[in-house]
Amino acid sequence: MEKRTHSPYPRLDRPVLAVIGLVLVASTVFFAWSDRQHDYKYYQYEFKNLVAEKLGADKAATVPSGLQQIWVPGLRRADRCTTCHQATNWKGFETAEEPFRTHPAEPLKHHPVERYGCSACHGGQGWAIDTDEAHGEVAHWEEPLLGEALGEAYSLAEDKKAFIQMNCNTCHRYDRETAGAGMINHAKTLVQEKGCRACHVINGRGGTIGPDLDFVGDKAPEQYEYGRLSGQKTAFAWHVAHFKDPRALVQETVMPNFHFSTKDAQALAMLVLSWKKTDLPVAYKPGAPRTDPQTAAEREAEERMRTGPGAWFVQTGCFVCHSVAALGVKSPAQIGPDLSIAVQDTQSRFGKTVDDFIMNPTGTMSVVLSRQIVLDTEQRKVAIQKLREAFAEYERLKAAGQDPLAAAH
Amino acid sequence: MRVSLKRSPETPSAPGVHPKALWSYAPQSDREAGDAVVSNLLLHWFPAKVYKPSLDWGYSFWLGTASAALFFLLILSGLPLLFLYVPSVERAYASVKDIEYVVTFGWWIRAVHRIAAHLMVVAVVLHLVRTFLTGAYKNGTGRGQRREWNWVIGVVMLLLTLFLSFTGYLLPWDQLAYWAVTVGTNIASSIPYVGPTVRELLIGGRTIEQATLIRFYVLHCILLPGGLGVLFAYHMWRVRKDGGLAKADRAALLETPRAEAPVPTKTYTLLGVARGTSPQVTTQTLEAPDLTVNAVPDLTRRALIVTLGTFALVSILASIIQSPLEEPANALVTPNPAKAPWYFLWLQEIVTLTTLRIGSFTINGAFLGGVILPGLLVTALTFWPWLDKSAAAAAGVWFAPARRRQNLVFLLVMLGILILTIVGTYLRGPYWNFYWPWEAWPEIPARI
Repeated sequence: MEKRTHSPYPRLDRPVLAVIGLVLVASTVFFAWSDRQHDYKYYQYEFKNLVAEKLGADKAATVPSGLQQIWVPGLRRADRCTTCHQATNWKGFETAEEPFRTHPAEPLKHHPVERYGCSACHGGQGWAIDTDEAHGEVAHWEEPLLGEALGEAYSLAEDKKAFIQMNCNTCHRYDRETAGAGMINHAKTLVQEKGCRACHVINGRGGTIGPDLDFVGDKAPEQYEYGRLSGQKTAFAWHVAHFKDPRALVQETVMPNFHFSTKDAQALAMLVLSWKKTDLPVAYKPGAPRTDPQTAAEREAEERMRTGPGAWFVQTGCFVCHSVAALGVKSPAQIGPDLSIAVQDTQSRFGKTVDDFIMNPTGTMSVVLSRQIVLDTEQRKVAIQKLREAFAEYERLKAAGQDPLAAAH
Repeated sequence: MRVSLKRSPETPSAPGVHPKALWSYAPQSDREAGDAVVSNLLLHWFPAKVYKPSLDWGYSFWLGTASAALFFLLILSGLPLLFLYVPSVERAYASVKDIEYVVTFGWWIRAVHRIAAHLMVVAVVLHLVRTFLTGAYKNGTGRGQRREWNWVIGVVMLLLTLFLSFTGYLLPWDQLAYWAVTVGTNIASSIPYVGPTVRELLIGGRTIEQATLIRFYVLHCILLPGGLGVLFAYHMWRVRKDGGLAKADRAALLETPRAEAPVPTKTYTLLGVARGTSPQVTTQTLEAPDLTVNAVPDLTRRALIVTLGTFALVSILASIIQSPLEEPANALVTPNPAKAPWYFLWLQEIVTLTTLRIGSFTINGAFLGGVILPGLLVTALTFWPWLDKSAAAAAGVWFAPARRRQNLVFLLVMLGILILTIVGTYLRGPYWNFYWPWEAWPEIPARI
């Protein structure tokens, strides 16, 4: 019978292969286990207990578990903060410790969570689900949580929670005053009082002696000169120190020392750092025009019509569709026939007198007069009267040898 | 998978008919061992019998197998990433954040992909170093050997590996990615006359933008791995055609000449793959049973040890080393220092060293350091088998005396590259200033 050639290796190779197999299994168990380790599991467990204690087991059973997320397509933000901060929309935890505290109701009235998420106002890293990463306390994340802890680290004057106001100003930048943003409002007043625009471009206008400050918040922290700054090397600390004494940081500067208090300097530093380029959707900009503006000529022409002999037709709204050329009213749309000759026209178009037609309109006008321009019987009588006046003017112009409909062209 | 453990060998009913659906893990005869190679698709690229010393751990260090295992792992870990990553400048960064934070095992898959990519560069380079130092690109005693061409394919595969890694570097669209690719492509633009055009072709425009991202993405996910896969298959086929590792040729040299000429036998010149005689398939080697072993299971077991060992190593490293993801790409803020990927840092170092400043006049070293020097090195490397005039006996041995001088030069060049890489990676700080590991870099300021 054929025999197998003696193999010189298996003695050691087999156990080596077995060990490698075991290492592979162990490493798989290790990464699978690592993947399950998250802070939120503890917090969700704690919150459930808290709810059970306070509101009963039935309520506790409705506390969701696992990853939670608020997805705001308009701001392209996915905030997973509520994975740990589960109490935000639960009543009854107003005085509890974070992360088990109810969110104050007032700011949410105008900033519903589903439209703004969390991180747009609070800062931090909404993508992350573990505390340090989510609060932005990791390398390579430049938006820290704008909370009380940060305010205390900088010993903010008065309100330690004021840092969050910087993010208010992302949208409310061009408001003179924003409710609830005391520090930012204070800084905006200072900008007016001290005449910063004499030297700096601020919000699009100002002088050119100092640097353009329109988007100074975008300046990277690495781009500041920290050589003469003692203590913490951050853009915020630089601005505070610079506002207090510009020459101490930049020797050759011509910026005067305004002798700002600590509060002033901190408020101003917050304001200038909030001046960033943002690609906010229009719907998030307060006061942004929601219609296309009229030109001055258009506005003037409308004003003339509004006060001229055809004023009634303009104020009532007829001119939206109809010109009344004999009275100098020109419709921007001119969808309907000129009302100068309506007295004749109703006869040829509808086989009715104008009185009859206004009282019992047919076709389009029946819809318009029942929905858009609703007139009672008295007002309809006025309408008939005005139409007759317009026709009289038409006849007069025609007799005088002018083209009565020229104004509409 | 069901592996037959039946001990009794069954005789095939007819030539070419194999009695078992699967191969035997513990074959009782050489015929049964050889059956595996004939009947199994995955095993068919192995010879039936292998020259025993070519399986030695200390000869090849199995670096080629490790490279192939890493390539396989990269494809495997790349597939789930394909489903999760979005190649758009608006969403790429966010999709990587999601992979990192909320996708189940996402961080591990990304880490496996990253670590395997770095290790593959290392393994492929070491494989090349081993091949050079053992003179394994040289033809031995077999007829029709074309080992020098397999070496050329290997050099191309190394370049593809580097380019694969480089194109993958850009995809997270963070500062690290953006500026590494900026440095890399700026070097290309230093070529006289055509440089700017080459750069424009690479990045699909004049700035690194969406056009660059989609170009790198398609290269990274389709063209380069596809090309590397085809070359890998050809590389393996050539190894078979050339009669196995260069070390196997030594069997013929060492054996005592016999009266009768070696006769290729029908059983082992399998599928007509080996042209002419090759050492492990002649009657000559069969008559020296001490020198050969059955490929299945002795070679396959070792291949399995290396492959699974590589997987385990990568998995463990991926579980403990966090993959970096810096700030989102920002064309207005240059990180200081801006570094190319580590395997190009020796070039960046040379670029810096050859940039001369005489007064206000600057000679940019990018062309010399970034184009000429690596170009010369790759050209020399490619054509080295034709420049190496040493005897065939110098093939398949570590540090053959006949090749002493060229091995020494090669080692010195590699050592230089290694030192420059280490300096560039660990000892260069802001403004490319030199910092010892115990010297602290200046503090990196934050916004708030």
